[in-house]
Amino acid sequence: MSATLGHILRRAARSLWENLSLNAVAAGVIAAALLLGGAFWGAMSTLSDAVEVWEKDVHLSAYFASGVDEERQRAVLAEVQAMPEVEAVTWVTASDARAYLEERVPDIQPILAELGGDAVPASLEITLRARYIGDETLADFVTRLQRAEFEELDYGKEWVERLTAFLGLLKALGAALGTLLVMAAVFLVGNTMHLVTYARRAELETMKLVGATLQFIAAPFLIEGAVQGLVGGLIAIGALSGLKTVLLGRVQELVPLGQTPLTTSALGLSTVVGLLAVGVLLGVVGCGSAVLRFWRQAP
Amino acid sequence: MIRLYHVSKSYGSTQVLHDVTFRLSKGEFAYLTGASGAGKSTLLKLLYGAEAPTSGKLLVGGVDASKLGPARLPLLRRNLGVIFQDFKLIPNRTVFDNVGLALEVIGAERREISRRVNAVLNVVGLGGKGERRPLDLSGGEQQRVAIARAIVNDPAVLLADEPTGNLDGAMAVEVMEILLSINLRGTTVLIATHDIGLMGRFPHRRLRLDAGRLSE
Repeated sequence: MSATLGHILRRAARSLWENLSLNAVAAGVIAAALLLGGAFWGAMSTLSDAVEVWEKDVHLSAYFASGVDEERQRAVLAEVQAMPEVEAVTWVTASDARAYLEERVPDIQPILAELGGDAVPASLEITLRARYIGDETLADFVTRLQRAEFEELDYGKEWVERLTAFLGLLKALGAALGTLLVMAAVFLVGNTMHLVTYARRAELETMKLVGATLQFIAAPFLIEGAVQGLVGGLIAIGALSGLKTVLLGRVQELVPLGQTPLTTSALGLSTVVGLLAVGVLLGVVGCGSAVLRFWRQAP
Repeated sequence: MIRLYHVSKSYGSTQVLHDVTFRLSKGEFAYLTGASGAGKSTLLKLLYGAEAPTSGKLLVGGVDASKLGPARLPLLRRNLGVIFQDFKLIPNRTVFDNVGLALEVIGAERREISRRVNAVLNVVGLGGKGERRPLDLSGGEQQRVAIARAIVNDPAVLLADEPTGNLDGAMAVEVMEILLSINLRGTTVLIATHDIGLMGRFPHRRLRLDAGRLSE
């Protein structure tokens, strides 16, 4: 048994060395497949994390109707502060809001002057406690918050929900795309390994004719496949890390996403292990299918 | 050792072997003769399991070769030595590796492989040429490498497909003498050949195939 194992390992090492270019091509194909799949999965994972953070960070803006005086606004503030769902409330008076707007958009001053004193309404900026952020409790809170004093209630939940639904669709598409990618990778790796077996058909055919079993012929190829998968996986991990650093850095610069942890989970340990495992699986399945095809055809 | 009962083989509508029945006992030496295309190589292929008969039964060393699945085929071949017409040597492996292959596939230890390969290379007159590559050898030497690989695991049955077909007269005689010496050790030998001169010089039982039909 140990002699057979030694022979298998020697043959795998020799084959890897003697077919270096073909093995490099196979590893490259695996790396490309993992890179594509990993980039897509990383983007989905990052977006999903961001949505999760945004969902937990729901703020409501309750805009006072014109004509509600500051005394009444202060009374409403006290009522809202007393609601159990509320973590914090900031009262933004009309003059504060106007000043903020003028500071952020200097060109708007003439327009505001023309619209008069009621152009920018006062508001309450409400932060909810985390445990009240679920869909039903939020809807219930919004219902109980409704008052004649408020002209409009605005909260970012709707677009987060839309984003979540879009993300769900994207995930389904991603699963389909991922399946296609894996199938394409297995096909490509299988065909590349078919070239390897074709280049060595005389040796393999002779081995079969002198009594080698399928396992004996296949074992070194499976080891080769595993090595190709590992190398392909490492290349993909390196490329994905580079992509993450460059692209996410650019995204952070272009889109002000605040404290959203864009860079923490895209290429963690589980991702690295997962990429290597998928790479090895691709290599082994590709090589295994090529050897099986040879075995069925050889005399 | 070899028994065929009403064996026929067809490729599509072309029938290559017709109702072939014969028996070779243990330690027997026989020629399988016939013109090119008579079905000699096909009959050998049936014996080492590269082809399956269309009908009939075929026993080699007590194993029914006509019913062997892919998983059990190696077990049949490990008890056979086959000398192929085109040698089937691996060009980028040494003579030693080519001969040792038959032992590697059965999981023999390296030391045992080394001992037996060197011994058998001496038997076929290739001692000291173990590190050469097949393409560096003459046709006769390549033939002897193929013989060495076929006998290195002491098979009960040796099948040879035109083993002297590519050799000149003196070399053909040398190869025949090697095959006869193997037969003297108790191995059943069946040689497919159409070399009438050689059969006259080394007379043994002849099985004649004529358009796929066997006669003696």
